[in-house]
Amino acid sequence: MTDAAVLPTGFQPLEVFVDTWALVTSFERSRRRETSSLAQMRHFYDAFSPYLKDALAYLDGKRLAEFAPADERLMALCLSLAHVTLAVEVQGEAEAQNALLRHEMRITRSTAERAT
Amino acid sequence: MNVEATKFRPISNERVAVLGTQPIRIGPYHDPEYFALEREAIFKRAWLHIGHVSELPEPGSFIVRKMEAARASILIVRGKDSVIRAFYNVCTHRGTELVAQSDGLASTFSCRYHMWTFNDRGELRGAPDFERFFLDKADCGLSKVAVGVSAGLIFINLTPEPEQTLSDFLGPLETQLEQLPCATATTFAEYVYEIDANWKLVYDNFQENYHLRFIHPRSVGTTATGPENPFGYATRFDFIGLHRKQALWMNPEHQPGPVQVSALDRLVSDAMSGGYGELMASSEYFAIFPNFFMLNSPILPFSHTVFPIAPEKSRGVIRFYWRGEDDSATQRFAREYAVAATRDVHAEDRGVIEAGQRGISSGAIQHIHFQAQEALCRHFINSVDATVQAYKAEKALGVSGA
Repeated sequence: MTDAAVLPTGFQPLEVFVDTWALVTSFERSRRRETSSLAQMRHFYDAFSPYLKDALAYLDGKRLAEFAPADERLMALCLSLAHVTLAVEVQGEAEAQNALLRHEMRITRSTAERAT
Repeated sequence: MNVEATKFRPISNERVAVLGTQPIRIGPYHDPEYFALEREAIFKRAWLHIGHVSELPEPGSFIVRKMEAARASILIVRGKDSVIRAFYNVCTHRGTELVAQSDGLASTFSCRYHMWTFNDRGELRGAPDFERFFLDKADCGLSKVAVGVSAGLIFINLTPEPEQTLSDFLGPLETQLEQLPCATATTFAEYVYEIDANWKLVYDNFQENYHLRFIHPRSVGTTATGPENPFGYATRFDFIGLHRKQALWMNPEHQPGPVQVSALDRLVSDAMSGGYGELMASSEYFAIFPNFFMLNSPILPFSHTVFPIAPEKSRGVIRFYWRGEDDSATQRFAREYAVAATRDVHAEDRGVIEAGQRGISSGAIQHIHFQAQEALCRHFINSVDATVQAYKAEKALGVSGA
């Protein structure tokens, strides 16, 4: 794999989600969930969740501090799925209303953004 | 989750009738005069949660935290001797707020106004042209604030000489807190909200389960409600002085979705390997006077502090306590999920609490009502009001130096 690869080998079908969902901070991921429609999130969930176990297993094979840029993007997609699953598996049709309520709950610190 | 399936037995009305059954007057939930009394009687006297030891990892680490309820900014420093000390963040020259940053690493603190400089013990070490003052530097140290640490949690007390140690204040809860993840956590995640509501109205929401099925039909849903306990009522209440505790009922039949399971499996295995197997069999929510909550769950190890800002304005701070920075992708994913899932629940609460404040502040009603399963709310207002009335009586007798 080279640094030019968008995602690690085997995860290319997910590249289409990188621009929208490979976000750096927990705050950004939470905001993206709030500004996405349930249909957009179902699309991401349906496409990505079959890869989740393989993605985490692949990433668990590396130290977090040694992630290549492509690994970082795959990690960020997994972390976005942690938010999106709440829209798809839990909130369903209530997601749009729930998103308005969540806007004032600001994630101010996350272990995902700390030095490892 | 890993909770044994036991038949739900509701707490009887008789069990809590001792707290009283009368309607509750609404003044304390919006009246500025009552808020001013709470400031003096509670927030300038009680031990108040303000931080975690992981925020002060090394000698010279400091944090600055607002405590609007006491109109104070507090500087908390880990000195070169590793001792944690707290001070009012106020320069003793002309009263200027001393440190502007919210955290950092420093061996001295200089006031930007006239460069008075204090050391990590709050002593005045230097002041330009000091010989023109009519003062002794030894008399110019920062005003001290009492500070205590229990279970990794930092508490302050704005009374110069607190009547009780933190340990005495927490009583039997201290050893219970020491068993929880916060006691050994080295890091935390956080989310924060502001809310247009009195701090007690906010706090009350989190100590009754009557609303769960209506406000959280999906986010809580069948995790904590079910056919045998449709309201998700608690299995036990404990009243411990001014503090209180409830044992939450968890529905053994709850089925999370497949991606949720991926996260929950890791949270459970981390809890087990962290030595919290026994703790997972219970689910207790600590309500520590006046404004602090801690869930005893090692899977969702969060605290929730409700900081009063004004009679009808508060700030909530939720923190998840973790041991060690993320060690792997799966742990990082699981922790991200834990925070996001809990945030969904709290967001739903925030909306309805503000609606409650608008109704109360309108003056339409003079009383609100607590049923037997809202007994913790009743114990809370009883505790607040007893503290406020004792303060008023003390002032009337002129016995207080405060």
